[in-house]
This record gives sequence, C-alpha cells and structure tokens, in this order.
Amino acid sequence: MITMTLDQCVHCGLCLSSCPTYQQTGVEMESPRGRLVLLELWTKDSEPHDAVEAQWLDDCLDCRACEAVCPAHVPTGHLVEEWRGHQAGSTPSLRLMRLLTFFLGSSKGLAWFQRFARWSQHPLGRFLVRRWLTWWPDSPARLQRGLPAHINRRLSRHRIASDPPQSHTAFLFVGCVMDTVYADTNQHTADLLRMAGFRVTVDPRQRCCGALHWHNGQPAQAQTWAQENIEAFEASGASVIVVNAAGCLSTLREYPELLRGTPWEARARHFSAAVRDALEVLSDEPLPHLSEQPTPVTIHDACHHVHAQGIFKESRILLQRAGYRIQEMANSTRCCGSAGIYNLTHPEMSQALLRDKIEGIPHGVDIISAANPGCLLHIQQGLVTQGKHVLAEHPIDLVWRAYRTAGYLPSMTTKEGGTARG
Amino acid sequence: MADWISGLEAIVGRPYVLTHPKALKTYAQDGYTLSAGIPRAVVLPGNAEEARRAVQHLHHHGIPVVARGAGTSLSGGAIPTPDAVVMHFSRMRTIHHIDWENRIVQVDPGVVNAEVSRAIEPHGYFYAPDPSSQQACTIGGNFAENSGGPHCLKYGVTVNHIVMADVILANGDLVRVGNLAGDPEGLDWLGALVGSEGTLGIAVQLWLRMTASPKHSRTLAALFDEVSEASRAVSDVISAGIVPAALEMMDHLAVQAVERGAYPVGYPPDLAAVLLIELDGDPLTVEADVNAVMEIMAHHRVRQIREAQSVAERQLWWANRKTAFGAMGLISPNYYVQDGVIPRHLLPDALAFIDDTAHRYDIRIANVFHAGDGNLHPLLLYNGSDSREVERVQEAGLDILAYCVKQGGSITGEHGIGLEKLDAMRFQFSEAELAAHNALKRVFDPDGRLNPGKLLPTPGRCIDYRPF
Ligand SMILES: Cc1cc2nc3c(=O)[nH]c(=O)nc-3n(C[C@H](O)[C@H](O)[C@H](O)COP(=O)(O)OP(=O)(O)OC[C@H]3O[C@@H](n4cnc5c(N)ncnc54)[C@H](O)[C@@H]3O)c2cc1C
Ligand code: SF4
Ligand code: SF4
Repeated sequence: MITMTLDQCVHCGLCLSSCPTYQQTGVEMESPRGRLVLLELWTKDSEPHDAVEAQWLDDCLDCRACEAVCPAHVPTGHLVEEWRGHQAGSTPSLRLMRLLTFFLGSSKGLAWFQRFARWSQHPLGRFLVRRWLTWWPDSPARLQRGLPAHINRRLSRHRIASDPPQSHTAFLFVGCVMDTVYADTNQHTADLLRMAGFRVTVDPRQRCCGALHWHNGQPAQAQTWAQENIEAFEASGASVIVVNAAGCLSTLREYPELLRGTPWEARARHFSAAVRDALEVLSDEPLPHLSEQPTPVTIHDACHHVHAQGIFKESRILLQRAGYRIQEMANSTRCCGSAGIYNLTHPEMSQALLRDKIEGIPHGVDIISAANPGCLLHIQQGLVTQGKHVLAEHPIDLVWRAYRTAGYLPSMTTKEGGTARG
Repeated sequence: MADWISGLEAIVGRPYVLTHPKALKTYAQDGYTLSAGIPRAVVLPGNAEEARRAVQHLHHHGIPVVARGAGTSLSGGAIPTPDAVVMHFSRMRTIHHIDWENRIVQVDPGVVNAEVSRAIEPHGYFYAPDPSSQQACTIGGNFAENSGGPHCLKYGVTVNHIVMADVILANGDLVRVGNLAGDPEGLDWLGALVGSEGTLGIAVQLWLRMTASPKHSRTLAALFDEVSEASRAVSDVISAGIVPAALEMMDHLAVQAVERGAYPVGYPPDLAAVLLIELDGDPLTVEADVNAVMEIMAHHRVRQIREAQSVAERQLWWANRKTAFGAMGLISPNYYVQDGVIPRHLLPDALAFIDDTAHRYDIRIANVFHAGDGNLHPLLLYNGSDSREVERVQEAGLDILAYCVKQGGSITGEHGIGLEKLDAMRFQFSEAELAAHNALKRVFDPDGRLNPGKLLPTPGRCIDYRPF
C-alpha cells in the first residue's frame, strides 16, 4: 500500500529532537522513527489495526522538520501523508473536507468564505459562529479570533489589475485564504513586485493549490485543481509564478509528485520549476535600504518554508533592508501547530504547540512575522486568547508598510483606496 | 490488568505507562538494528521521585528495568529483554540550574546533549563531549555509555565532565555520587557508574562541568588521494606533539554517502580520504600549529588543504561529518558500525586490515572515525533481508575487534558493549577479569534487575533476542 521506501531509515534517532509531536508527548510512537515502525507494521503486520495506532500516525503535523535533518533523506512526513491518503473517510477530518471543497473550490465559494469571515467579526456574527459551530469542538470559533482586524470586501484576484504580459512578468498566485482573509497581502505583494520592476498578472481562473485536500486524503480533487492552475499559468505568458504563502509554495512545487504517472507530469514539472516564493524573489532584487526603525520584529519560520524549501534567510534580508530590527525567538523553526487544518482536527496538540510558540516570543517584541496564512491565523488567535498585545503579520505587509511610509509606494495600483492594515 | 501495571500508573499517571502492543514494538530497538526485544511495558517518569518509586515498585514485583534516553545507542544498550520494563526519560528534560560561579550545569537525564551547549554558549562556555549524535542523544545516555566525540581528543570524554550524579539503585534507593568540587572522595563510585550502561544504576540528575570556549579556532580539511598517506599524516601530527581539538577521518565510501546526505560540502567524488583537523587555543599557538600541520600534510602528498572561511562553513563541515552514520542509509539498506580502538601509530595497518576483511567477506566497509585517538568506526554495510550477508557482517565484525585487541587496542572506544559486543568481551578480558566485573555488578544489583543481559557476558546466554 505504501509505495515509498520505508527501509531507508537506519534507526539512528537523529530526527527525534526535531519532531514537535515527540517533543510534546515524549513517546516513541509520536516520533518520526516510531511512525516509520508503525507504518511498517501497518503494511506488513497481519494483526488488526486500531484507532489508537491510527491516531499516533495521524498526529503527524506533516511539518517536515524530521525530513530536513534526516541524514538518510527518509521522507517521513510524505510517507504519513501517503498513508493518510489511503485512510480517507476514517480520519476525523472528512466532514470538514466537504465543507472546504465548497468554499475553496470556486471564486463563488471563496467569496462566501470571505463574507463569512467578515460577518464573523461583527458582534452578532461572532455570536452566531459560536451557536452554529457547536457540533465541532470550539476550535473554529477560536480560530475566528485570529482574523485580521480588516478583511477586504473583494477577492484579491478581482482587485489586482493585471499588466499586459511581457517578459519579466510574474504570475501572482493568490491562493484561497490569502485571496480572501489576506487579500491585502496579495495586493502588497503585487505592489512590491512592481516596485522591483516586474509586471504582474493575476488570472482569476486560478484555483486553490489543493494542499488541504491532498494532505487529508482527497488527492483527486487536488489533482483537478492542479491541472487548472497549470493551464492558467501556461496561458498567461508569465515567466515566474510568485507565491506568498509557504504552504501553497510547497504544494505547487510538488505538483510533479501529485500528478506523477498522469499525462500531466511533464507540464507539472515545467510549472513547478517556475514557482518562486515572494520572499525569495524580492530578497534577490535590489530594493532600497531604509534606516533602522525602533520597533523590533521576531520571526516565526513556517514549516513549509524552512523545512520543506530551506527558505530561512530571505525574510530576514527583506525585513532588515526595510529597516526592521530583528530579535530572534527561541525555536523559530518549530511548528506552531497550525499545519493546514490540523488545528481544527487536533486541537489539543495544536494548542500545546501554540503555547510554546508564544512563550518563545522575546520580551518587548510586539510583532511576530509569519509568511503563511495558517500560521498567521493560528498565532494571532493564540495571542488574542492570551491577551497579549502582539500582532502576527505577514513579512510582505511589514515590508510594504515600511516602503510606503518612506514614500516609495504611492497608492498606485490599489483600485479600492488605502488599506487598514497598510 | 496486572497489579504491577496499575501500581505503576498510580505513580506516574495513566498516560505515562504504555502497554499497547504496537507502542511496545516501537521501543524494540535503538540505533543497533541487528537485534530487537519487545518490552512488557514502557514507563515515562515526570521527575526523579517518580522514577525512584517506579524502580522500587518494579523491584518488588521482580521486574527488570532498562533505562532509555533517545535510543541512539549503537550497541543495543537500550534494547529491552522481553520481560523488562523500559524507563524512558523523554519527559525529564529540564536544565535546572546554571551555576556560573562554579561552572556547573545541573540537568535532568533526558536533556539532549546539544541543548546544554546551546544554553551556555552565549556566555562563552560549552559542554565538551560532543558525540556525533549530539542533536538527539541525552545526557543520561552519555553518562551510561561514557560517550565521546570529535572534540574529546583534547577535552576528554564524558567521565571527565560529570562531577556529580543522583542515581537510583536496583532496589529503588537514591544515592548521590561525586561532589561539586569534582574530586572523588574515597573510592570513585561515580567513575564506576559512568560507562556502566545502565547496569549498575539509573541516573536521574546530573551535574556537568562547563568548559570555557576557546578564544580562537581554525578548521582545516585535508584532501588525500591515498588512505595510507592520510593515516600516516595523522600519526605524524600526534607524534609532533600537536593536540588538535579534533582530528577526524572519512574514507572514499563515507565521503560518497555524506555528499548525498543532508549537509553536502562539495568534497570531490574521487577522493580517497579527507582529514578534518581543528586547532584551538590562543591565536599564536593556533597559528604555529596550523603551520606545522600544513607542513606534515604536504609531506604526505595531500591533494589540497581547505580552511573553513566562516563559522557557518565550519558548522557545515561538522554537520556533514556528524551525520555520516545516518547517511549510510543512502548507500546501503543497513549498516553495522564498530567501535574498536587501536594504538594510533598502527592506523595505516588497521585500515589495510579492514580493507582486506571487506574483501574476504565480500562486503562493503566505509570508514568514518576519530583518527586522533585511534578510535575506528568501520561501517559494515549490509542488506538486512539477506541473512547470509548478515552473518558475514557479524563475523567480519568480530574479526576486526579481535584484531584491535591483538594490536594492544580495545573493542570499544565509546559506543559501549551493550548486546552487540558481549562475545567480544572475551577477547578483551580473561575469565578472572570478567568475574571481577560480575562481582562489582552484584554489589550494586544482586538480583540482576538493571539492564540484564548487557555489558557482561553470562555463561550460556539464553535470552531470546531475535531479529525484528
Ligand atoms: C549517528 C550516530 C552517531 C553517534 N556518534 C557517537 C559518537 O560520536 N560518540 C559516542 O560516544 N557515541 C555515539 N553514538 C552512540 C550514542 O549516541 C551514544 O551512546 C549516546 O550516549 C546514547 O545516548 P541515548 O540518550 O540515545 O541513550 P540510549 O540509546 O537510550 O541508551 C544507551 C544506554 O544508556 C542507558 N541509559 C540511558 N539513560 C540512562 C540513565 N538516565 N541512567 C542510566 N542509564 C541510562 C541505556 O539503558 C542504554 O544502555 C552515535 C549514535 C548514532 C546513532
Ligand atoms: S528517519 Fe532518518 S533521522 Fe530518523 S531514525 Fe530514520 S534514518 Fe535516522
Ligand atoms: S513531519 Fe513533523 S510531526 Fe511528522 S514525524 Fe516529521 S517532524 Fe514529526
């Protein structure tokens, strides 16, 4: 059933200390090495499997921290994900997936999602959210607290004007949560790209990257969306696909794996080779140096940046260049517990990791930068719940604000006027 | 449910006693994969007192206990006998106190080795023993194995860096051995316990020495076209009276593996051997040592010498070296690492013998080792599903150990005896010496309850260990 090789693991244990679930629980079953033993038993053992075992495997955050340190390159996170794919229907996430397919599956669904998010911020809406969602543990209601203070009325895909395609054109991948809740961040990404000399195109036909479905046992849905994204990019004439959400970045780069063995594989490879993170692209460009501001910023490194893609220094370069003083937090590379919809399906583990993450924020720092919508929502939610006066912000927003204050960014492309977060 | 299990649950709390059959299977092995044993239960104490009461409780029920840190032992030290309970220290991982005045760090046994240095480094100190597994292995495990590492050439191994420990004896008594001054009073009990592989006592609190970070350090990589020249260069460095902080060697096959691993540094693929040499101390001495080393290398037809240009590059080189064992997974399904020690001047002969052994048994052997102290680590590569190859590997391993002893060396430098080298103990010690070992064991653990079946060969071994 599991097609990837399990016997590459030499049982050295070097991955243990990097695994957030092992750190939390201390038990071998919740470690990468233990999960590999469980997977092996699952595939080879004739004894029956039970829910407890499934839980140990399903607790994996898919954060890839173990993969980044494994000397034998054992893809533990991927292997668990593959296992999950075969368990579809039996993991607790299925009910949620159906809902998400509706919301994330089309522009219309996304527009509803955005509307709900906005409504949920009214006192009445907040009340209704609590009433409605009683069937699910209180995590979605809790997550609602993590929403940014201002949510745009329109999807960013409809808001950002496209430049006529030419060489040096960037295809802006707007995502789903980014497109709705963090629409401003997409706008800011476009602004900064233009400031760096790119032309920007936003194809409204693009789809959700498919990460949540792929990682939660619905690869077929993810494949369909992947194909549509590939088509949209090919039709755009752009040379590079720019993404500002770590999770989407990782998924888009893995399209060849998602579409392996299908007629789309070669096109997927071409597509994934063109995918770049907004932080990578912008840190390579000679944006102006601004003088240092007094407000210190700390950085949370999203798993899908640091472990899956090795992106670490880019946010630091960009923020420093824009004048921010960086004060590193403890364990900046440890998963915050958001992990896709993990915070909804595994509230306890997720909250425990979040507590540790927030504890690591250095004293006197009021901004924590995170380049992934899931992390932003999750961390902000924790900060609000704990009554901390710290804001979780996307580094792109921070950088945009600095350049705008310094007069580099006139409100040139915003169709809808200024933005509250800017 | 058995009485003794509910008793354990009452001591540590229900979630911290594992009995699910699949859970137990994840505890069947450590870093040594030629053997396995499934424990009866696993208990995870939250503090020293819980650990003490759990040991006492198990003692009452006549159940053996095997301590476990991170399970990175390469000799099967943490593999349980089937009737034993594993005591896993992963929940006890607090650094309790840093005493800057006396330069002592007080830690739980489950604290990861690298965390200790990380806590004191910003203040100009480090914890010297640095096993290559330091990112994962625990201080409790280091205590039990008397672990070393690349930088132990100059700074000494674990026993030189633990000054005091709280230890649980087999019957559940807690004793304190050693003292904060670091000088043993009377018999050196602490010295006997360090390296006893969990067979004499279980450490629940340890006091470690911190070492001042060197003012200056330089790291060289010397690339060779011939293994024999590289090993002669090692002997010459040592006999010239230079004490490098570290002096490590990797051969062709090992370089192939690490270059495919998580931290490639760009060693040329056709290299026969690389020596990593670190020199530290005051800038003038370091300068003189570097020059002397360069001269010796040139004398031995070195192809090229590189010097790490930044802290980041130095760290990369060490990460590359320290993940070498794990990287074997990229060139072979399994590996069996040995730990024999030989007098340093025999290094060229020993490597030739190992090469010859590989041919005789038709297996591949990679070498990654602490050249400076003659501590060999031949990595015997095999495929676990090929039972004939497994046998050949085990026999080849014994040959190499016998050779080390014959040359006046020893069967283990730092990985311990565990299960793996029980048979080889007879190469090293006479019956009388083994009897003396056993007599000491009986003083601490008359009923044989602490990590039974490890370290000391018992006549007619009958424990049922089986491949997984
Ligand atoms: C890739 C790799 C590289 C390695 N490199 C080195 C190296 O350079 N140098 C070196 O010396 N070793 C090395 N080792 C071996 C191993 O890491 C060390 O022996 C280490 O000290 C084991 O620590 P652990 O926490 O994993 O202990 P475990 O493997 O869990 O246990 C080892 C032994 O210690 C006992 N034990 C554990 N905790 C306690 C305690 N609190 N009280 C009493 N007994 C206890 C166990 O019963 C067992 O016998 C390496 C291992 C690997 C996998
Ligand atoms: S997954 Fe990798 S790091 Fe973890 S035990 Fe296996 S080989 Fe070692
Ligand atoms: S992917 Fe993350 S949670 Fe899963 S085993 Fe690896 S380190 Fe642990």
